[in-house]
Amino acid sequence: MCFQILRRNFLKGLGAITAANTLPGLSLMNAYAQAANDYKALVCVFLYGGNDGNNMVVPVQAAEYGAYAQGRGAGAGGLALAQGSLVQLAQAGGARFGLHANLAPLQQVWANGDMAVLLNAGPLVQPVTRAQYRANRSTRPANLFSHDDQQEQMQTAIPNNQASIGWGGRLGDRVVALNAGSTVPMNISVGGNDVFLRGQSVSAYSVPASGQFGLNGFNNTAQANARRAALQQLFALDRQNDMVRSAADVISGAVNASTALNTVVNNNASLATPAFQNLNTGLSRQLFAVAKMIEGRTQLGLSRQVFFAQAGGYDNHQNQIADQGGRFNELGPALRAFYNAIVALGVQDQVTLFTLSDFGRTLRVNDGGSDHAWGNHHLIIGGAVQGGATYGAFPSQALGGPDDTDSDGRWIPTTAVDQYAATLAKWFGVPDADIPAVVPNIARFPTRDLGFMA
Amino acid sequence: MPTAQPTTAGDAVRFLEQATFGPTEATIQEVMQKGPALALEEQFGKPMSGYGTFTFIDPDPGRGCPDGSPDTCYRDNYTVFPLQRAFFRNAVGASDQLRQRAAFALSQILVVSGAELETMHGIGYYQQLLMNFALANFRDLLQEISLSPAMGEYLDMVNNPKPDPARGIEPNENYARELLQLFTIGEVELNADGTRRLDADGQPIPTYDQDTVENLARALTGWTYPPRPGATTRFPNPIYYLGRMVPFAAQHDTGAKVLFGSQPIQAGGTAEVDLNAALDIIFNHPNVGPFIGRQLIQHLVTSNPTPAYVARVSAAFNNNGQGVRGDMRAVLRAILLDAEARGDAKTVADFGKLREPALLVTNVARALNGSSDGVYLLQQATNMGQSVFQAPSVFNFYPPNFPAPGTTLDGPPFKIMLTGTILNRANFANRILFGGNVNPDATVAGATGTQLNLQPLQALAGNPDQLLDRLNLILMHNTLSPQARQAILTAVNAYAANDTLGRVRQAAYLVATSAQYQVEQ
Repeated sequence: MCFQILRRNFLKGLGAITAANTLPGLSLMNAYAQAANDYKALVCVFLYGGNDGNNMVVPVQAAEYGAYAQGRGAGAGGLALAQGSLVQLAQAGGARFGLHANLAPLQQVWANGDMAVLLNAGPLVQPVTRAQYRANRSTRPANLFSHDDQQEQMQTAIPNNQASIGWGGRLGDRVVALNAGSTVPMNISVGGNDVFLRGQSVSAYSVPASGQFGLNGFNNTAQANARRAALQQLFALDRQNDMVRSAADVISGAVNASTALNTVVNNNASLATPAFQNLNTGLSRQLFAVAKMIEGRTQLGLSRQVFFAQAGGYDNHQNQIADQGGRFNELGPALRAFYNAIVALGVQDQVTLFTLSDFGRTLRVNDGGSDHAWGNHHLIIGGAVQGGATYGAFPSQALGGPDDTDSDGRWIPTTAVDQYAATLAKWFGVPDADIPAVVPNIARFPTRDLGFMA
Repeated sequence: MPTAQPTTAGDAVRFLEQATFGPTEATIQEVMQKGPALALEEQFGKPMSGYGTFTFIDPDPGRGCPDGSPDTCYRDNYTVFPLQRAFFRNAVGASDQLRQRAAFALSQILVVSGAELETMHGIGYYQQLLMNFALANFRDLLQEISLSPAMGEYLDMVNNPKPDPARGIEPNENYARELLQLFTIGEVELNADGTRRLDADGQPIPTYDQDTVENLARALTGWTYPPRPGATTRFPNPIYYLGRMVPFAAQHDTGAKVLFGSQPIQAGGTAEVDLNAALDIIFNHPNVGPFIGRQLIQHLVTSNPTPAYVARVSAAFNNNGQGVRGDMRAVLRAILLDAEARGDAKTVADFGKLREPALLVTNVARALNGSSDGVYLLQQATNMGQSVFQAPSVFNFYPPNFPAPGTTLDGPPFKIMLTGTILNRANFANRILFGGNVNPDATVAGATGTQLNLQPLQALAGNPDQLLDRLNLILMHNTLSPQARQAILTAVNAYAANDTLGRVRQAAYLVATSAQYQVEQ
């Protein structure tokens, strides 16, 4: 299989690579730390349940569309989206793909050159062909086609589930020194606890996406102050029990950082407000909170941040047309609002949002839905994205064809999540020599820069 | 019945933390006199509380709550609110504590979530089923959940047709996969002590592959909802949650199937025959004892049981002493009477479990002589990240292997320890202790609110040492360290000796918000 990269503005990307390559790790950090207005943020949006990328990014040209439609079944229970319903992603020479109609808000982001599509990516032990996959179990990531294992593999870039830290956490570990002096954690989740942000030295901190948060009942009386003092003392005691120590650190972390972050997250004068004005979905609230924390970066004293947001409901074994359509009605407007917000904040070139999900889904349908599969398509959004282009190879839509594990359309990824992560890590400022510290298995793959970042 | 074997107050409280929703004055005395073994046997015989019986309501809220219905119609029929309320009311007040704890643990392993299924009576019927079978045999429980319409809908076994080449469809694999991965055997082969078996290369050995999932999915085709009263079964039947799903022969795949590469299900079987054959094969897999047993230990006693402890529980699962496999009472005895569970305290560094929100709020209510109609407690547990019966997915609120931050240990409930939910734990203690009684919710029929009774503690507060002794016993089975105790004592003395209520509030708040209390040891 040919590893095909379609890239726009190739030279722009190359310039950044060269600069990074010529500097050793520590001095690069120093150089970055001294630069004025130096700031970068990565925002992971995880689509829990396994988003069916087959119906997110759909081929629009006759032959490819025909193969897609055939695989998606006929009549009641089939999942083929009508060709005319797709939102065309314009490219020189004519669009090859269209988005699901409910992602129409992203069409303009693509047209602006600020959205790229990564095709058929997923966890891999190594590049693998159908024949190799079928012959040898050791070529397969552990426990393929299960939710929790593939969630973990996408978040850790480790295919055997032996990782306790995520690639967002390892990324934090590399650059946390740039945030020296800040008392606020750099890796922040607005979407619950998962492994992505957990690092070796950097821990994942969570923030409620909406509403005031803080400790109640401390009204500055002598008794309340004595209570507060005792509360703090108790955190430092009885740490010989590992679980108590862990709980004490998590609780004291929450108590201590909540005041500063509550102020930022509940900023009523945020310049991001207009972008999110008419939205009130779970994901839009999370991304609004992220935008406000980016806006508050100076106040928080942070020059590098990694965020984690999430949306659920993508495990569409049944009733997929309606259910995934509903999810995309949340996703499209929320991602567009976030894009508008970072433009309004003037940080569009310093912030990159990208999607991850458990896995893709079978092209073959069951009765009205699809089942767990593997390779999947992803969206990358931001001013530094070499957008208006797709990266990676689109899988042959043939059931039982060269990209299928078997006969149900479970695509064998042609791009590893490792490469996806490494490309973002490089843009984030991790020098080439340090990329393996973020993505330990990167050497197993032919390229570590997929070219979608400037 | 075992004979009474009196035990210490610390052991009694600890037993009550594990086997019930928290100690009360009366149950501490009872367990001290009878001992855990007799108390456990007596629990098996308590009359069941539960959720009662349910009547059919149209699954479409537009028809079930037409214009002009009371404001509460939707909440009471299309959300799990009434079930959650009953759960917390029974947890605080009903006597069948062990059955409730076991059913609650099972509800977090064999998950059907009201976050996706909105019809209250469908979830209610399922939760009642877990209560009915919590102290029975695991094989029977598997049968019941597999044929439960709520589970059928949640994981798509209902109305799952046989393959149809003309339409290009294959059976839905959802239930087949999660039945193996989450409900019975897990993904990799286990030793009886719960540790992973390894192959010659030192790698874990998968318990099943995609072929087994697809074969099992085919074996489970051809089931639909029970017919509504008076109706004739067709395929698909309309949604109906009361009773067991029924087979529909023409949509069952009667071809031969093979599970785990070697265990056949013969061709020509009906939907019932294939279901029974498949469940028998799965139930007899050697992983079930350690896989389910370890999770039950995590829910009841400790997040990181030793392999030897897991092995003892697996042995009880495999054989109850009379040659019966899957006897849940034998499993619960093995878990709760084990040497690692019993005694005043465990001082091993990795012992203990983070209290999950539902157990935290009920423990506080029961230990502090509380009473509750459930409304306030369900709201508080929800604010802490655990809206019972509404897990975000079939993977529950947390996976069994979620790490306690900064350690290499399992600490499942840490998954839902977020900044907001942590602060809500502390703010719950603040509200319930410093804020006084919580008034009844006027929109809830028969509401009585939530109250603590701090009088017995106030009677001790003139002497802060006695107050702390008592709190240390009832909330922490005497595990508070002298240093922690001193820190609390200093804060208590910020209140004058005659402000007994202030002293009790101060002391109880600090104990209940401490990391030492959040982790049940």
